[in-house]
Amino acid sequence: MSAPEPAASAGPGAPETAASPAETAEPSASPAETEQPAADEERAPSPPRRPLRQLAVAAAPVIGVVLLFGLWEFYVRAAGVHVLTLPPPSRVLRHLVAEPGFYWEHSLVTIREATLGFWLGFSAAMVVATFMAHSRFMERATLPTIVLLQSTPVAVLAPVFLIWFGFNIWPKALTAAVFCYVPFVVNAFTGLRAIDENAYELMRSVSSSRWEIFRKLRLPHSLPYLFSSARLCLGLALVGAVIGEMFAGSTGGLGNTARVAQTRLLVDQLWGSIFTLALIGVIANLVLVAVEARMLRWHSSQTTRS
Amino acid sequence: MTEPGIAASTSEGGEGPEPRPGPDGQGLDQRPSRDGQGAVVSLRGVSKWFIGRNDPTHALSRIDLDVSDGEFVSVIGPSGCGKSTLLRVVGGLVGYESGTVEVAGTTPAVARRTKQLGFTPQTPALLPWRTVRRNARFLSELNARRAVSEPLSEQESVALLETVGLGKFLDSFPNELSGGMQQRVSLVRSFVLGAPVMLMDEPFSALDEITRNEMRYLLLDLWARTRKTVLFVTHSIPEAVILADRVLVMAPRPGRIVRTEHVSLARPRTTAMEDDPVYLEHVSRVRAALHEASAR
Ligand SMILES: Nc1ncnc2c1ncn2[C@@H]1O[C@H](COP(=O)(O)OP(=O)(O)OP(=O)(O)O)[C@@H](O)[C@H]1O
Ligand SMILES: [Mg+2]
Repeated sequence: MSAPEPAASAGPGAPETAASPAETAEPSASPAETEQPAADEERAPSPPRRPLRQLAVAAAPVIGVVLLFGLWEFYVRAAGVHVLTLPPPSRVLRHLVAEPGFYWEHSLVTIREATLGFWLGFSAAMVVATFMAHSRFMERATLPTIVLLQSTPVAVLAPVFLIWFGFNIWPKALTAAVFCYVPFVVNAFTGLRAIDENAYELMRSVSSSRWEIFRKLRLPHSLPYLFSSARLCLGLALVGAVIGEMFAGSTGGLGNTARVAQTRLLVDQLWGSIFTLALIGVIANLVLVAVEARMLRWHSSQTTRS
Repeated sequence: MTEPGIAASTSEGGEGPEPRPGPDGQGLDQRPSRDGQGAVVSLRGVSKWFIGRNDPTHALSRIDLDVSDGEFVSVIGPSGCGKSTLLRVVGGLVGYESGTVEVAGTTPAVARRTKQLGFTPQTPALLPWRTVRRNARFLSELNARRAVSEPLSEQESVALLETVGLGKFLDSFPNELSGGMQQRVSLVRSFVLGAPVMLMDEPFSALDEITRNEMRYLLLDLWARTRKTVLFVTHSIPEAVILADRVLVMAPRPGRIVRTEHVSLARPRTTAMEDDPVYLEHVSRVRAALHEASAR
């Protein structure tokens, strides 16, 4: 909203639309303020300014992570936990900094598999969901297959893919794709189907084609659903790729480095792989959130929360 | 409005009041259309059945109706009497069993395909990912190749948005607007399409009384600027009267037109007219007809 600073300009004639939801909600949220003299109520309440609190809220995620690692470090040192059981995070970080090339190289392998799997799962889901959204028959025919996939621990498919495709990127990418497929197809279907009845009728009233209704109504409507499933699937794609590397034979990738580390008791490498995977997940999520904020500026989840 | 260019329609009992010669306004309906000549919408003996799971419903029974170019016709009636069905038949969204329907000189199906029908639904049905400006142009963008009537230009549609007081919100998204503001965008959107026939199905029913009253005059403003033919379904008697040249009262089972009230108030309509005895007389006559229709 491009409203002027309400405190400075708002008088009795101020446009009622100048108040953002947060501002209008404020008086009722703090009962103490309603007991002020009437003269104060004439002015629109100014947005709450509590710089310290805002700073704290902004820094909270960092504080949470630092606290976790701090406690971890403290516990491991204070309780004298054996390094094989749980190394202190400082040691893992030092190891990571010492071996950047190694982890970079294997990260790329895993990222490539996960990315391919993510898009494969997404594409397959979009195609299937599009058919489902347009035809009751397709919907009823496809739903049980989705439930079936959902109830299967799809990780066991990794060895099957190995048999089919051999020692290359495909078994890992496909495992990741299978992981992503279910959340994507369920959300894409909902997004493509649950459109505004009146908007649909409106488009029909000018003989909009199916394709036009898909492109201008169904697809944009499904975007928020797709983004929320994409967050889930970023993690799942990584899980799928790593599982693929562990069970579908591989010589690279962070799943492989972790498995090798485990068999040879390389504590640093095991935890280094774990940390790197976590970092990849976090970065991917941040990128997704940024893209979502740009693309879904219209969506209420973007404007009502700050 | 010396010569109400309106054709005969089923007016049971024949007690329809003689149209009063009102103070001559802009004289928008000078075309006589007793035989359907010059009618933009014309129905002859139209019947429509719904064959559902339970008993078949006779939604429309032998409807005769002529609406002339630029006329504003309100349709009122008890719930389930077939008002929406009437609009949907005219709009080519549902078929009908017998009779003939002509819209803009052609069949409803062709009129729909060539974008000669401007729908205004009950809810604003704005697309949340489009700004106000782009929502207003939404209908005119669709199926554009086959449109026969020219949609309003970008500037003209912005001008209409300014008319309804949305000049400051051109680049806002719908979730930043109140319900009344959203409905105003919806109205503008149907006018931007530039279709000769406008079909409105209770577009104000979700609004509070004050906003609703404002919207009536905004609608009349838009209508006066564009001179379209309007079929307007409502449940509000005052609304039906203040907007229309003619109010059709429908009765259910089977759905039919039982009364036609010619409104003799001058144009442009103003809030002051709501105290006019002529207006009040129309309102009470429509109310009586509506009571009778619901009692059957
Ligand atoms: N698709 C349909 N299938 C079966 N019956 C229908 C269908 N649409 C409408 N009807 C029936 O036709 C009759 C007229 O319905 P319609 O929606 O036209 O009424 P209405 O006058 O618009 O009512 P309301 O004022 O409640 O909107 C009703 O009895 C309704 O049950
Ligand atoms: Mg209806």
